[in-house]
Amino acid sequence: MISTNRIERFVVGALLALLAFPVTGHAWQEGDEKKDESADKKKEEPDKWFVVKNAEIHTGTGSVLRDAMLVAKNGKIDEIGHDLDVPPDAKVLDAQGLRVYPGLVAISSAGLVGQATSDFGDTVNPFNSNMILGLATGITTTGIGNAAVKLKRFSIKDLVVRDRIFSVFSWSARNPSGKRSLREKFQSASAYLRDYRAWEEKVKKDKELKEPQKKNVDTTVLAVLKGESTAKFNANERDDLLGIAHLAQEFGFRPVIEGCVEGWTVADELGRAGAMAIVTPRDRRPKDEALVRDGGSSIENAAILHRSGVAVAVVPGTESVDLGGLVGRDIMHLPIEAGFAIRGGLPEDAGLASITTTSARILGVQHRVGSLEVGKDCDLIVVDKDLLHYEAFVQWTVIDGKVVYDKQKELYFAHIRPRADAPAEPKKLDKGETEPKPDADKPKEGEEPKDGEKKGDEKKNGEGDGEKKGG
Amino acid sequence: MMLASLLFPLLFAGDTKPGPTPNLLAIRVGKAETIAKGTIEHAVILIENGKIVTIGEDLPIERGIPVLDRPDWVVMPGLVNAYSRLGLDSEGGDDMSAEVKASAELYAAAEDFQEVVKYGVTTLGLYPAGNGVPGQACAIRPLGKSKEELLLADGCYLKMISRATPSAKKLFQDGFKKADEYADKEKKAREKFDKDKKGKKDDKKEEKKEEPKTSANAPKQADAVEIEGAAARAQGEAAAQEPAAAEDPKPDEKKDDGFVPPEPEPKAKPWVDLRSGKLRGLVSINNAAEYVHFQDAIGKETFSWDLRLVVQRESDIFYVLDKQCYDLEYDGIGDKKCRVVMEPVLSVTPGTMRNRNLALELSKAGAKIVFIPRNDTLQNAKNWLANVGEMVGASLDRNVALRAVTLEPAELLGVEKRVGSLEKGKDANLLFYSGDPLEPTSKLQAVMLDGRFVHGEVKL
Amino acid sequence: MSGARTSTRTAVGASTALEAVSSTRRSVSLRARMLALVAAGLLAACSATRHATPEPGDRPDLSPLRPGETGHALLCGRIITADDADRMLTSGLILVRNGRIAYVGERRPVPAGYEVLDCGDQWAMPGMVDLHSHVHSGGFMDVNDMVIPVNPELRTAPAVVPGNPLIKLACASGITTLFGIPGSGTSHSGFGIVYKTKVHASFEDCVVRNPGGMKVAQAYNPERRAGDFGATRAGLGAILEDINDKAVAANRQGRRDIALENLQKVHRRELPVLIHSAGSDSWAAATRMWHNTYHTDCVLSHGCFDAHMTAPWIAETGVKINAGPRTMDYVVTRDGAITGTAAKYVAAGVKSVSLNTDAPVMPQEELFLQGSMSARLGADSYLMMRAVTIEPAKQFNLSHRLGSLEVGKDADIVLRTGSPLDPRARVERVYIDGELQYDRARDGQWF
Repeated sequence: MISTNRIERFVVGALLALLAFPVTGHAWQEGDEKKDESADKKKEEPDKWFVVKNAEIHTGTGSVLRDAMLVAKNGKIDEIGHDLDVPPDAKVLDAQGLRVYPGLVAISSAGLVGQATSDFGDTVNPFNSNMILGLATGITTTGIGNAAVKLKRFSIKDLVVRDRIFSVFSWSARNPSGKRSLREKFQSASAYLRDYRAWEEKVKKDKELKEPQKKNVDTTVLAVLKGESTAKFNANERDDLLGIAHLAQEFGFRPVIEGCVEGWTVADELGRAGAMAIVTPRDRRPKDEALVRDGGSSIENAAILHRSGVAVAVVPGTESVDLGGLVGRDIMHLPIEAGFAIRGGLPEDAGLASITTTSARILGVQHRVGSLEVGKDCDLIVVDKDLLHYEAFVQWTVIDGKVVYDKQKELYFAHIRPRADAPAEPKKLDKGETEPKPDADKPKEGEEPKDGEKKGDEKKNGEGDGEKKGG
Repeated sequence: MMLASLLFPLLFAGDTKPGPTPNLLAIRVGKAETIAKGTIEHAVILIENGKIVTIGEDLPIERGIPVLDRPDWVVMPGLVNAYSRLGLDSEGGDDMSAEVKASAELYAAAEDFQEVVKYGVTTLGLYPAGNGVPGQACAIRPLGKSKEELLLADGCYLKMISRATPSAKKLFQDGFKKADEYADKEKKAREKFDKDKKGKKDDKKEEKKEEPKTSANAPKQADAVEIEGAAARAQGEAAAQEPAAAEDPKPDEKKDDGFVPPEPEPKAKPWVDLRSGKLRGLVSINNAAEYVHFQDAIGKETFSWDLRLVVQRESDIFYVLDKQCYDLEYDGIGDKKCRVVMEPVLSVTPGTMRNRNLALELSKAGAKIVFIPRNDTLQNAKNWLANVGEMVGASLDRNVALRAVTLEPAELLGVEKRVGSLEKGKDANLLFYSGDPLEPTSKLQAVMLDGRFVHGEVKL
Repeated sequence: MSGARTSTRTAVGASTALEAVSSTRRSVSLRARMLALVAAGLLAACSATRHATPEPGDRPDLSPLRPGETGHALLCGRIITADDADRMLTSGLILVRNGRIAYVGERRPVPAGYEVLDCGDQWAMPGMVDLHSHVHSGGFMDVNDMVIPVNPELRTAPAVVPGNPLIKLACASGITTLFGIPGSGTSHSGFGIVYKTKVHASFEDCVVRNPGGMKVAQAYNPERRAGDFGATRAGLGAILEDINDKAVAANRQGRRDIALENLQKVHRRELPVLIHSAGSDSWAAATRMWHNTYHTDCVLSHGCFDAHMTAPWIAETGVKINAGPRTMDYVVTRDGAITGTAAKYVAAGVKSVSLNTDAPVMPQEELFLQGSMSARLGADSYLMMRAVTIEPAKQFNLSHRLGSLEVGKDADIVLRTGSPLDPRARVERVYIDGELQYDRARDGQWF
């Protein structure tokens, strides 16, 4: 929708809320806030309840609840725990034998909500097949352009979680004057901010005092220093990374560094600067052999940065959906990319965080998405096994307490290890097709004994000689 | 019959080129697809002065009336192509030119008009070119000496193009802003009028500053042709489609106290008319996303609209058939029961080769189908009915299909009282086929426009 | 050939001499092999001390090492043998003796003389084999001599840069053998080389078989250029048939045509041919030509796009499939399903399916991921593990030396922290011919 329209709507909403208050004031004073609230709601719309039960819930904050429930009200998580009451009229998803994770937050992607990189409310294509494949990957929120956007299928409302997140700067050894001028901008903005804050204090007493001159102060830089936006750099080379770290320490801001290929060589400095990194573990860049020092890419990059206190988000090399046939390197394999960070030594929980909580934090939307906590958006995925296992398939994706993807109802993956509850023939989401689906291959049943997870409980491998696999 | 042909030997001299048709003519055919009242076997149609006087099964024919007797033929109403640019070649409107009318471009002697009749198209809806909101369509009969003779109705629908872009969505809002401004102006005029009236009672010296020249409701001279019918119909439908619109106080209701509302600016008038129900929108969309963005763009604005769906090879419009299926935020196309102007062509589910008949799906969901030729060229006008036949072959209801090329487009254009079906009192626009019109093997034997054979071999 | 190996072979005498001349003969020519075995047998009979280097088919050797012999004992958390019995062991032992495997099985007391390495809960698996690779020269160089469409006299051997950075990465990912081949820019691109991915080694130390096999390009690339003729399938077919007929005629006449020498071997089934081919049209044509018409020992490679539609028919012919780098089809079949092609072949009953990277199209080190992704898209993950180890070795008649952990085979062993196809599992150590080529603890993590 048009932004003015939204503002109007917001204003109207706010007015309504103000009007509503005196009317319902009595009940409120009686301390029956909840009841009153719901009574007020009922006039417009009944509460929408959504429940996942019998699930192994990985909250994304480190805890795992077995055989647990999650209850969401009007799209927000209301309760997580055991043996909770299921509200009448709740939509209930039985995740028996399955795992629940927070919806993934892709730090960056392309094409999942249409081709535009701004004005999402006016440009999103909520029927876009790339969006379905994004949801099939488990992605519920993604950074695009300068915003964090939800993959709200069938909907064009309220999909932007946060806009104008980053101020993008360039810092490169190839452009010394650019570095100099950026530094000067930080200096002048920093000086202005200092004067302004001093003035703010003084003006309380002396109302005549003139506000400091804002002339020649770079507003983007100022926004960064005020903490209104996050400075983002795209840098890979050690010297550039060091420069950014020093700039950040000097002026007191936390930079986000995209690429960060040689970050592992200066991880401590980046950690001290409070840097956050967006890395692709499989990035490959040969070392400059002319240099004695460490250099080039390393599979250990994410792990080393993490150990030095740098918040690490992971993104695949191809940020769009690629159906061309080369598998495993595009946005549909976001968890696989995190798997490569783990290969390089990143702990499993940090690996999961790199595509959930950490990416949410870098985007500044961690108060709403990235983990399953009471009060946050009910954006979750139900997965058939360990999310980071290469065979794991998202079975359902839920956004704002609404199921927006069901593996068995889409043609894409329904034929691969179909869910037990699913009908033999994948139920078509699309009505009115005039041709029957050709026979899908019949996937094999059962788990691979030699492939059990470390913490998996279905290790079938006995002692002595292993068992033969049915071919 | 022999006698009849002897009586009118001169009239049917030519074999291929139709000669003059008698003013009074009885037609007896094997079958008549009336559209309005189903199929009539052994139909007899009496035509006088270019109008259908009566139609029925095996009616007795008075002696002396010339009879065209073709027991093997099937007759149906002339085709109505409600969405065309045939015979027009100017670059009419621009992004925001709702006031532009395609009728301004009309050139009576355009060759396409002469030709298209031969393919059975007896009514054309012509729209202005352009992007955004390019303007208003008119309805014509393709043959005539002058523009006036051609014009059946004007201001038939306002073409609007919906896209999933901020600028396209803003166009609609800007348009209705004009209507808002007019509403303000009218309100002020009303207040002033009331005050003046009061003042006149008290003090007759005060004089009116502004005297609107004409009533907003009275059609301008250029619009005068048949617009009342179109307007009334549009109002009626607006009331049916958007109950809220009917509740809006109409300026008419205050007429009796002598208040004459000011004339809207030409740029504002179409938007005022849209809101009041005098004008219908025809909103062009390509896909499901553009549909929901259109819904979002118009917000709470209530006006009557139909859709022009550009059927692409891969179409995802099935997502917005009804609100229920995918829990949409807006009513689906079927829920709105609007018309969908579309090509008779099968498409596929995006990314696949799974065929789907969207006309069938839309029709089942509650929408009304208006077919247009696959391309706006004469060649496609020729294949039009055969293509519609293919849709029937792919399970589309035959009656829906026939209606979609006759009465439904006539209603879209607001000329359904004159064309689109074989009914008493309507223009005698008839197509004579050697068999089922939807069978590609059937031949179009003759075309009658306003009671006159304009194409085909006809011997009484 | 490895240092260890060469030395042991020298001791055997006549048979090693044969092999030193041409490793190909030993591997492929049955006759030569028989001769070698007979010679070895004779020698063994004559000699009082039968040498202890294990041979394929030998019984496990648990005897103590003798002076001058080298041996490692690997205590592993799990062992995936990839042998024909599909043995998988938890907590097993591997004995490596003189560069060959002397024992794989349950833990036993380690015979005297072995250097014991406790690998904790690490998994041991055979070194992986990729039959479609272009990294031998260190990049995408030297893949095609784009002048004429038929190049039966070309070999990739001169282009090999042993231990180049791409080969090092391959090694660090657990790949121990590659078939380095020319590209698909020309119809008949020449002959590739089977070599090991040793990090520090000479050309001679790396070569397994040279030429290792032939590479032809049936369609989907050679039509683009390289000469005026062959812009269409008809032209491409004629080009290949013409040269094949010449080689067949030479064979029939017992004539040795220098330019066609290696191609003649292909037509005597002494060398396999890897056919670059994709799409259902080209796969069918390739099978007809190389299998039905010329009866060569052929492996269909790639099979991208909708080639999987031919799977049931290919299964009937028994032709071997080397799938990749594309392992998925959505845009060509267009039935709405994302099809894992390997799963499709397996389901159709194709007996021999291996996977490739076509590196650097897919990075060489991600061969295992081709297996993971094929398993993800519906294939059995164990079979996909085989598809990057023993299957390609079998397809190229190298399974007597490579592809599985069995007594007598080359000690090409990979130790990982987890399942072979799991991207999260690191490679800790890679042995090639019993030599430690990559050790994460020692060398740092390369991949």
